Amino acid sequence: MSRAREPITPVVLRSISQRFGRKVVLRGVDLELRAGSITGLVGANGAGKTTLFLILAGLLQPDGGERRFGERVVGDIDLELRARLAYVAHAPQLYPGLGARANLELYAELRRAAGLSSRPADAVLRGLGLADDALDRPVSTFSRGMAQRVALARAVAGDPELLLLDEPFTALDARGRSQLAGALVAERDRGAAILLSSHDQGTLLRVCDRLVLLDAGAIVREVERGGDDPAGFAARASDVLAAVGPDDHAAA
Amino acid sequence: MLHLARVRVLRQSLLLLRSELRQELRDLELVLTSTFFTLVVLGMFYLSFAALEKKHTLPAVPGLLWLTVAFVGSITLTRAFDREREADTLRALLVAPVERTAIYVAKAGSTLLVLLVCCALLVPGLASMFPAGQVFLDMPLETATLVVLGCLGYVAIGTLFAAGLAGGGGKNMLLAVILYPVTTPVLMFGLVTTRALLDNNPNLPSYLGQMAALDVILLGVGALLFEPVLVGAAPARTAQAARQHARERLRAAGREEPR
Repeated sequence: MSRAREPITPVVLRSISQRFGRKVVLRGVDLELRAGSITGLVGANGAGKTTLFLILAGLLQPDGGERRFGERVVGDIDLELRARLAYVAHAPQLYPGLGARANLELYAELRRAAGLSSRPADAVLRGLGLADDALDRPVSTFSRGMAQRVALARAVAGDPELLLLDEPFTALDARGRSQLAGALVAERDRGAAILLSSHDQGTLLRVCDRLVLLDAGAIVREVERGGDDPAGFAARASDVLAAVGPDDHAAA
Repeated sequence: MLHLARVRVLRQSLLLLRSELRQELRDLELVLTSTFFTLVVLGMFYLSFAALEKKHTLPAVPGLLWLTVAFVGSITLTRAFDREREADTLRALLVAPVERTAIYVAKAGSTLLVLLVCCALLVPGLASMFPAGQVFLDMPLETATLVVLGCLGYVAIGTLFAAGLAGGGGKNMLLAVILYPVTTPVLMFGLVTTRALLDNNPNLPSYLGQMAALDVILLGVGALLFEPVLVGAAPARTAQAARQHARERLRAAGREEPR
């Protein structure tokens, strides 16, 4: 872990392109994710959001373009980088037969074996609103919202510098969304760079420092929260969100 | 550095293997399915071939052994990676700071254990049903070595392809179609070596040595290709740009480029 002291942020994507067969999914995407900032990635279904997440997480090699983590241009997302980023996918990706605590402890042990530390599982899980009596219950008995909390707990337990969240609010109730939003703000304040995709427009407006609109594989608009004009950001961000479509949680 | 990486692979492999076994022990899904299938196949073999004379069953026993291993292995690998696909847990591991080789070793290890449990029923079963198979009981060490080496080769290559299909959202049918051709060399080696064992061939150690060599090659290939098969390799241009960038940075830092 010789590069452990060098920051991996800002994460910069330059001209990232991806195609699956004849279908072009990403066309020359440029994106910068800064430390201590939450970037909201919005776009209609099929716009290429998940593909972009997979490329950032190292689960997919882009056909073209450059990924830069801090000062480092990378070909493969190696173990050193994976130690410092976390990805929460649309599915919770938990072992259903294991309890919430056991799921987190497995990853903590795997990190320890790689010489990395993690926050105590119980504290992280309780911080995200999981009750004590649920810690050892098999995850297969959990509601989708509870499983999503465990997935987020696993992601933040390693204090990642880059946090990638693809639809983390799915299946969460209003209280769960509020807790999760609080957790994201705490991660941002800790200094993490966060990329967040969601159809929950209210939460996006509340927590994001920047909104990026992905349309048909290309970034077509970006709005940033200015320090002295919060109302202006809300108006411009609402324009961006209007381009995506109605809010999933508008009725909630 | 290399030593540290090896220790990491070993420790993470053991952790993942323990986790696999822990999950399996909760419901014994793989073990029960595979052993039940083994018993059914044994029963069918008995009803079909038990009346044959020893000289006729002698060439059949190796085939019965490795055919069953091929079927049970296919069932086990399919189900083992189905579980990963259903919960999408393989992707979570691939993003974590876990050596990809450790994931491969753990998955191959757990599949191997299930296969060996089935062989612990299969081999004595064949020995008791067919007089030609008595040699299995007379030469337990050689038989155990043969079975372990054959099963190891099977899972070494089978795990690679099963993981590739699970990671890419492939279909089970496709696994069966791919698995049998790619594991044929291992099964053929097993077949020939088993025949040598049953014939008391003095060259048996040499056959076993060749199987071990094949296993080493297959394990090496599996470990080497596991990562590219699951997440792909960086395109040449991207990898070159990354290397060029690393060289420039080292030069700027006044350091020698590592060779």
